[in-house]
Amino acid sequence: MADDRKTLIQGLRQRDPELLDRLIEEYQHRLYRYLVYLTSDAARAEDFFQETWIRVLERGHQYDGRHKFEAWLFTIARNLVIDWQRQKKAISLDSMVDPDEEGRPIDLPDEKAESPLQVYLQGESEQRVQASLDRLPVPYREVLLLRFREEMQLDEIARIQSTPISTVKSRLYRGLEALKGLLAGGAA
Amino acid sequence: MNSQLNNTNESHARAESLIAKERVEGISPAEQEWLTVHLRECGQCSASVEATQQALRSLLSLQVTAPRGLAARTQFRVRLRAQEMRSVRQPRWRLVYLMCGASWVAGAATAPYVWRGLEWIGHRAGLPDLVWKMGFGVWWALPAIIAAAILFAESAGTNAARIDLNRNL
Repeated sequence: MADDRKTLIQGLRQRDPELLDRLIEEYQHRLYRYLVYLTSDAARAEDFFQETWIRVLERGHQYDGRHKFEAWLFTIARNLVIDWQRQKKAISLDSMVDPDEEGRPIDLPDEKAESPLQVYLQGESEQRVQASLDRLPVPYREVLLLRFREEMQLDEIARIQSTPISTVKSRLYRGLEALKGLLAGGAA
Repeated sequence: MNSQLNNTNESHARAESLIAKERVEGISPAEQEWLTVHLRECGQCSASVEATQQALRSLLSLQVTAPRGLAARTQFRVRLRAQEMRSVRQPRWRLVYLMCGASWVAGAATAPYVWRGLEWIGHRAGLPDLVWKMGFGVWWALPAIIAAAILFAESAGTNAARIDLNRNL
């Protein structure tokens, strides 16, 4: 395990193309899924996916191996999305959809409108879940994915989101509650 | 009657909180034991457990996979960018190493002659000792100044390449 990480650090530092190819293969689905959940946009997620790996190439020397590679990878991806959000709306991803902390109203999409995420995620049995997820504020959606799908530890999620663990926990509780409510047909 | 109702409400609230806590951060064995006993007797809270599990199952049921070819396209772009970075960096670094090596060799070999030469010029021109000795210092610092200039140009080139890449995205 320690040897693997050492090899990884060395390979990233040397910009080893074989290693990067292998990492791209290995993490493609997880990274792409994370980006789709963050952006709700498949095409945009593809762009960010490619840009994330370019950043990994350029900044590979910054990975020190103290934490899991996927946490570092997801942090890069998240920062790219935040930059994009800032450019797009001049507000951060967090402040956009964290009403409990920022006191701002949630800008929920129209329930009847078909979102890019819904278009992407096809299949009739999944549509209710898709619609519910789509209506979930991004930070909630993000923590739920990282915790229950990626099975990350709370401290890893906190590192990715650059927030205290207490915030991650509170987002998880609220997100879970909101998802339950949405799936049951209530409001978030 | 009222206190019994309050106790029941408190138990439900505690159970609800533990149901979520169990998934989010885990609960202690004592809490687990209490919850198991409560769930055995409480249909309402059992339903809440089922709703939570259903929500998580739904979350996990969504299949999002990377489109075919995305990994290959990315690998291609990454290799291209790596090549680009190498072509920008390597020749300049090689030049810096070469110049450093050559300047140290030449500097060491010619130092006594340069010293004597500068001393002679200094005396002929009637300059104070400090001036021609400072000239000797500049002579030694010259390679470092040139190397710094090359490194500066290198870093400016890399930044320009990065801006170009970002524009193309």
